[in-house]
Amino acid sequence: MAHTNKASALNLGVTIFIFLAVLTALEFFVAIAISAISLLAVIALVKAGLVLYYYMHIYKLNAEKEGDAKSYAYKTGSNRLGLWLFLLSDAFVFAGLLVSRFNLLGFTRPHLNQTLGLVVTAVLLISSFFMNRAETSMAHGDQKGFMTGILITIGLGIGFLVGVVGVEWRLAAAEGVTASGDAAGAIFYMMTGMHAFHVLTGVIFLLVVFNNGRKGLYTQEKHWAVEASTVYWHFVDVVWIFFYPALYLIGALVG
Amino acid sequence: MKNMKPVWRGLLWLLIGGVVGYALGLGLDALVGGNPDFVAPLGGLFALLGAAVSFFSGLVGYRGITRGLVFQVIGTLVGGFLITGIRALMGLPTFGGFFFSEPAWVFGSLVGALSFLAGVGALTDWFKWAKGEETSDHHSDPEGFVKYFGVSLDHKVIGIQYTITSLVVLGVGGLFAMIFRTELASSQLQFLTTTFKAFDQNGLQFYNTLMSLHGMLMIVSILLGIAGMMNYLVPLLIGADDMAFPRLNAFSFWIAVPAAVLLLSALFLGGFDTGWTGYPPLSTRSPVGIQMFFLGVFIAGWSSILGALNLLVTVVRMRAKGMTAFRMPIFVWAAIATSIISLTATQLIGLSFQMVMFQRLFGLGFFDAARGGNPVLFQHLFWFYSHPAVYVFILPGLGIISELLPPFVRKPLFGYKWIAMSSLGIALVGFLVWAHHMFTSGMNEYLRVPFMYSTLLVAVPTGVKFFSWVGTLWKGKITTPTPMLFVLGGIVVFLLGGLTGPPNATVSTDLHLHDTYWVVGHFHDTMFGGYIFPFFAALYYWFPKATGRRMNEKLGKLHFWLMTPSFFVLTLGMMRIGLLGMRRRIADYDPQLGFDGTHLILTIAGYLIFISVLIFLYNLFNSMKNGEKAEGNLWKSRSPEWLVPSPMPAHNYDQPFEVVGEPYDYGLAGSKYVQFAASKEKDESVAGKTKKAKS
Repeated sequence: MAHTNKASALNLGVTIFIFLAVLTALEFFVAIAISAISLLAVIALVKAGLVLYYYMHIYKLNAEKEGDAKSYAYKTGSNRLGLWLFLLSDAFVFAGLLVSRFNLLGFTRPHLNQTLGLVVTAVLLISSFFMNRAETSMAHGDQKGFMTGILITIGLGIGFLVGVVGVEWRLAAAEGVTASGDAAGAIFYMMTGMHAFHVLTGVIFLLVVFNNGRKGLYTQEKHWAVEASTVYWHFVDVVWIFFYPALYLIGALVG
Repeated sequence: MKNMKPVWRGLLWLLIGGVVGYALGLGLDALVGGNPDFVAPLGGLFALLGAAVSFFSGLVGYRGITRGLVFQVIGTLVGGFLITGIRALMGLPTFGGFFFSEPAWVFGSLVGALSFLAGVGALTDWFKWAKGEETSDHHSDPEGFVKYFGVSLDHKVIGIQYTITSLVVLGVGGLFAMIFRTELASSQLQFLTTTFKAFDQNGLQFYNTLMSLHGMLMIVSILLGIAGMMNYLVPLLIGADDMAFPRLNAFSFWIAVPAAVLLLSALFLGGFDTGWTGYPPLSTRSPVGIQMFFLGVFIAGWSSILGALNLLVTVVRMRAKGMTAFRMPIFVWAAIATSIISLTATQLIGLSFQMVMFQRLFGLGFFDAARGGNPVLFQHLFWFYSHPAVYVFILPGLGIISELLPPFVRKPLFGYKWIAMSSLGIALVGFLVWAHHMFTSGMNEYLRVPFMYSTLLVAVPTGVKFFSWVGTLWKGKITTPTPMLFVLGGIVVFLLGGLTGPPNATVSTDLHLHDTYWVVGHFHDTMFGGYIFPFFAALYYWFPKATGRRMNEKLGKLHFWLMTPSFFVLTLGMMRIGLLGMRRRIADYDPQLGFDGTHLILTIAGYLIFISVLIFLYNLFNSMKNGEKAEGNLWKSRSPEWLVPSPMPAHNYDQPFEVVGEPYDYGLAGSKYVQFAASKEKDESVAGKTKKAKS
């Protein structure tokens, strides 16, 4: 990424976003038209792969040794490894929830509002695009672009939270998917709740970074906190890439 | 009072604080219950907290851990009253059997644990970072023992904090074992017939709570103990000046302290009767104590996860020059293997416990079969951590055995690469074996045979280790100071534990052995052989490194020769009565079964082990001040930490070292493991520096 210029970084970000959007739409129509669970799984894996590589820059873990052990670049390398290990650990929580979902519900799914599901998914996806804009702006020294990007991301993140916790939870309860009802309700609230908790912490993280960015604490060379919040935000998006089909698309409708 | 020794002052304050806390707890109880009951559980809980606060306050004053505990008590009350207020506004019942209602206790405890961290000062630097302020990387600790009672960023201090906390928890867990072991000495109920009003439990419930807490306290103790060894040793062994993330390291330690407090508070809040496994549906019906248990384990789990993360980054990023993967000390390999498990699998015990907590708090129906839930799901999630967890416990210990054998036999370690790989092998196979705990649980039957074979597969990498140890001992010049005694004891005990494993792994025999004392005997063998013995060996071995003095050899040998035979009697006896039909986890048994005599012997053996550990503790604390001076390379080790004087300098190595040879080439003439920069020619080191700067 270091060798690309700003315009090509924007192009890349837009291209990946279009790929992700098309795949999400495809996912939705596959689920409606043909009930092909393996195809949905493949699409989710491709989407996750795109985000991991192009938005989260997983290849940076393999970067050459950066200067001596006391340098900022070397410490950032250690921080990066630490963050990825944390995400790996966190991924086990979400994997455990997915396993629980299939153990309890098998290939059935709760009755949820499809339009709202697609809308919140789109909101999170668009937020990922702007998060990527914010980070690449900072990497090219564009403070203003960074501030705009991160502000839009925070807004969309709050929008997602309101959509899931404020609207979807009410609608689901009205449809009979209640927390104290059957296991389907239990796992629905647990999965969306755990994910929403991570979105909430991500928003808080972004607010902290935004505030420090406002003070001008980050530079083109030194902006580890920006990178960390970006990677965390995209990770939360990757989780939703799997949770969305698992809750909304896969399996036969019951209840 | 100013002239008193801090310890005596602490104990005096402990008494006063206990009484004050007790009165406070009784007052709160009377406030809600309306009748002043002079043995109320809340009084007990507050007496414990008050005593702890006062003890530390007398010892070190109002700082560090004292402040943390005060914050925790206040935070718990604030959180509890907040939820109580909200419940009052919503028209729900406000107070429960233990003053607060269950949701108020859970939320309050969570707030309390976080308040502890804020109070102790583990979050200070992070808050500064969030505000965009710089913090100093250079840590300066106060002189003397006070630094161990507050936040320190030095990995050596944190390692000792972990170790001492681990020993305290070990003592409490052992004490619980002594209590129920006494009851088991003969059939019928003896002293557990009374009602323990101070714990709001009758004798049998109290037995269940002690038995369950014994399990989990020992697990937490082991997790703290291995974290202590890894924290203290790994940076020294790889030549780093600290862990990769010193603040995270301090955080990982300090978060374990409120977790231990929560676990102990379960005793006063009605206890719980599920055993350490907490299976639903029983755990969904236990008293509120089980919520404290779940929360305590959950928080201790984060200590383990973050510690593992820190360790992995440290090893990957901070090794000395020339320390390639296969020139790392073998203990570092073991630490990596164990950290891979704790980093990932721990999340699933956290998740499974959270799900039960939520089922109790919000009525989510995960494990309620009547609502389409599945209790067996809990067991899958739980054992996905809790079986690999036993490898978390033993791998560092087995690493210690491999690490300490060569210096005491003066021979190279046999099959270094195989041992390194066998640790990783055990860790990876360990992920595939969890359902062998569930052969009788009603899971799908087709799962039994694959899990049987994957479990038996663990014997292969474990066998590699035994071959290597025997090969290392073969024709060596064996000397047996105390650490080596514990290493040898560990090997033999672990062998017994290993050989009694396959009968449990094999479906046909496990159906008979499941939930008997045979399993209890097997398990204690693996834990003692894989952790307790090597842990003691490591303490005797590295004690001079930390203090500049050595522990008393005579007392050390007494400790070993008292503990080891007693231990054999204990576990072999357990296996005997297990085969004769003694069920685990029960307070009483039928005299017709005919093993009253064995039980009596087991209880005596248990007491002897307890006494031997007391001797050890006396030796440990006494030697800190009065031990024989040992500042040089006491064990003639090749390892870098022994090539500098003891106790270890504050910032580890003044001169960086370079690895120039194999780590365990003991007895080979002219071989060298590390070379310190200072011992090189002067101009050469200058040339090296300019070369480094260029690259």
